[in-house]
Amino acid sequence: MWGSDSDSRDAKQGRDGKGKHDVSISDATVAVSDELAARDDMIVCREVDKWFGDFQALSGISATIKEQEIVVVLGPSGSGKSTWIRCINRLEVHQSGQIIVDGIELSNDLRNIEKIRSEVGMVFQQFNLFPHLTVMDNITLAPIWVRRKSRSEAEEQALALLERVGIPEQAQKFPGQLSGGQQQRVAIARALAMEPRVMLFDEPTSALDPEMIKEVLDVMEELARTGMTMMVVTHEMGFAREVADRIIFMEDGEIVEVGTPEHFFTEPEEERTKLFLSQVL
Amino acid sequence: MSDERGAGETASLGTLGARPPFYRDATVVKWLSQVVGLVLVLLGLFFLASQAQNNLEERDIATGYDFLGTALGSDLGSGIDTNPDTSGRALWAGMVNTIRLAIAGIALATILGVLVGVGRLSRNWIVSRTSSVFVETLRNIPLLVQIILIFVVIASLPRVTTDQGPIHGWLHVSNTGVSIPRVTIGDGFYQWIIFVIAGAALGRWAMRRQERRHDLTGQQTYPWLSFAGVVLAFAAVGWFAHPALGWVGAIFDAIASGIDALTPPIVQVVISLLAIAAAVQWIRRFLASHRTPAGLTKLIDDDWFRIIFAGAGAVLVILFVTLGWPGLSSWVINSGRDLFEVIADKFGDGRTGSPIAAYRPDIEQLGNFPNYGPAGLNLIQALAAVYFGVVLYTAAFIAEVVRGGILAVPKGQSEAAQALGLRRTTMLRRVILPQAFRVILPPLGNQYLNLTKNTSLAIAIGYSDVVQVGQTVYNQTGKTLEVVSIWMLFYLACSLTISVVVNFFNVRMRIVER
Repeated sequence: MWGSDSDSRDAKQGRDGKGKHDVSISDATVAVSDELAARDDMIVCREVDKWFGDFQALSGISATIKEQEIVVVLGPSGSGKSTWIRCINRLEVHQSGQIIVDGIELSNDLRNIEKIRSEVGMVFQQFNLFPHLTVMDNITLAPIWVRRKSRSEAEEQALALLERVGIPEQAQKFPGQLSGGQQQRVAIARALAMEPRVMLFDEPTSALDPEMIKEVLDVMEELARTGMTMMVVTHEMGFAREVADRIIFMEDGEIVEVGTPEHFFTEPEEERTKLFLSQVL
Repeated sequence: MSDERGAGETASLGTLGARPPFYRDATVVKWLSQVVGLVLVLLGLFFLASQAQNNLEERDIATGYDFLGTALGSDLGSGIDTNPDTSGRALWAGMVNTIRLAIAGIALATILGVLVGVGRLSRNWIVSRTSSVFVETLRNIPLLVQIILIFVVIASLPRVTTDQGPIHGWLHVSNTGVSIPRVTIGDGFYQWIIFVIAGAALGRWAMRRQERRHDLTGQQTYPWLSFAGVVLAFAAVGWFAHPALGWVGAIFDAIASGIDALTPPIVQVVISLLAIAAAVQWIRRFLASHRTPAGLTKLIDDDWFRIIFAGAGAVLVILFVTLGWPGLSSWVINSGRDLFEVIADKFGDGRTGSPIAAYRPDIEQLGNFPNYGPAGLNLIQALAAVYFGVVLYTAAFIAEVVRGGILAVPKGQSEAAQALGLRRTTMLRRVILPQAFRVILPPLGNQYLNLTKNTSLAIAIGYSDVVQVGQTVYNQTGKTLEVVSIWMLFYLACSLTISVVVNFFNVRMRIVER
């Protein structure tokens, strides 16, 4: 229906996104090292605005996330972190500005949305596993029905992923029979089964009992080491300090400060950042 | 008893491992209260029955079901037999009317209810508003008022005339009701249906094969299409080839004469053996389900109760067929023979006509006024009023049930499905609907029960359902209690059937949790 002109538009935007390194670095990626700056852009946001009715949840968000970069988004609750991350695979619709993922712009073009969603994996605070399907079926559902893989191939891959997140023996159980930490690891495996280029984590440990947080963070750290591009909304300061390449601090729907963990935790510039850190640390 | 209690109290507190006094022993109390409860209920029922018996005898009212065989002096408005010989036959015709009404009503109410329920959730403003108005209007007006309203509206339509009517006589609408083309089973239907069943079996196999192919290769193989294709092919071939199955009737004839050769003692023995076998089988399965790798688990008293109950059930069945009602055996023989004779008759002797016949509605003029003839399917005024009354009323409730079921699936489920890149139809089919259906089923079953029971309001406008016919019967025979008991048993049987069907699906949809 959209034909070839939308194709060429995609391509053009893709080139645009890659051609403006200097611009994006100058606005929100100040503290990126030269090595990082040389990589390709994975997620580019330009002046993204989002309202819920009269309430402006995001105002003028501009940021660039590079390939293989680990970005942790911090901020008090209600600051728009989750809204932003949910805009990136269009679970929320932004009203103005541009979001470009791997050279594809998010617009009303259904084909673009589909393409981006199959490249972007997402892990939710509440796991959102499908309770009527076994762990195995949860993981193989999308590979079979979206990627059109054969069942045996999908199951082989699912077993490998379960091995990777450390629970291969739970394959035939239902989500309701697993602990919270195990469920979240299944959710990560489910997202990885689509072989995404980017993983979005929306407060993945917030609904977990303290003793289960570590098992999930371990899986995420392992994932980070394998070179996955990750964008993580979390309250786990330890994880942010250890794993993140960059930290983005948000408040009231705006990006307040961007920097390396070292910079962020030791010498924050903004008053609001200092206040936040004094409350959580 | 007082001694025992005293001893119990001194021994109970502070002594480890001691048995508590019987009135505090959970097992004893549980069993005792159940037995006492059962005895009280039975005594109560016995008291009521004997009172009724005494009162009826005092007033010289004869009881019994003999009236079912006596002639009924009036005709029925519509049904399989509008001029029944006996009261029993009339009640049967009324039951068939009720069952037809319920089945057709459930089918249409479900379709309409699902459409309106989904419509209310639609983002399209007009669709959601229309659906809301539909629900809020229909569920807030008493069903009886709606039925009478529809009845009155139909009554205000013009009379039947002999002209063509809309769509060249394929449809007639008048104050008598609606007449539409009738599609009936034709001469060779039963022979043809064998082809269709064979097609369905083979189609199922083909569907499984395509599903496996999809699992192996990931190709889209459209299993349902291949199923439909095979069934259609068989139906098409069978349409012309069905006379080849003319010999099937003879098989059923042979079975009928085989049953006729049985004698009552043989049937009694067979039924007794079946009862014993069923009880043994049940107990074995029950024990097997309690067997763990570590050996048989300890059976609690509930389990023992079930095992004893199964054994006692078998004994009761044997006593019933041998002593309680010896006539049952010959009844089984007779009706079994009749059943197979009827089936043999349906197949006939090499029937050759087409399996399905369709007729255009006709209009005939017997007296002063023209009326619908027997060729068309006539939805007469009273039937139309009850039918559309219960359908619209129940559809409003089903719509709410469906809406509630879909809303009960957490938003996170569709978000997770979207985030995985599932398309909307795949998401609905694989994620949302299986979960919504689980919530929808139990209240949907309730609505089906309501619809079935509400058809009894037909009495208000004189449609000959089982209640209206029953009223005619007891007005003529005076057997009120007996007729009421027949109504109760009939509605109980209908409701239990619906419950069993709904529960079957309910169990299949259950979600496993820890």
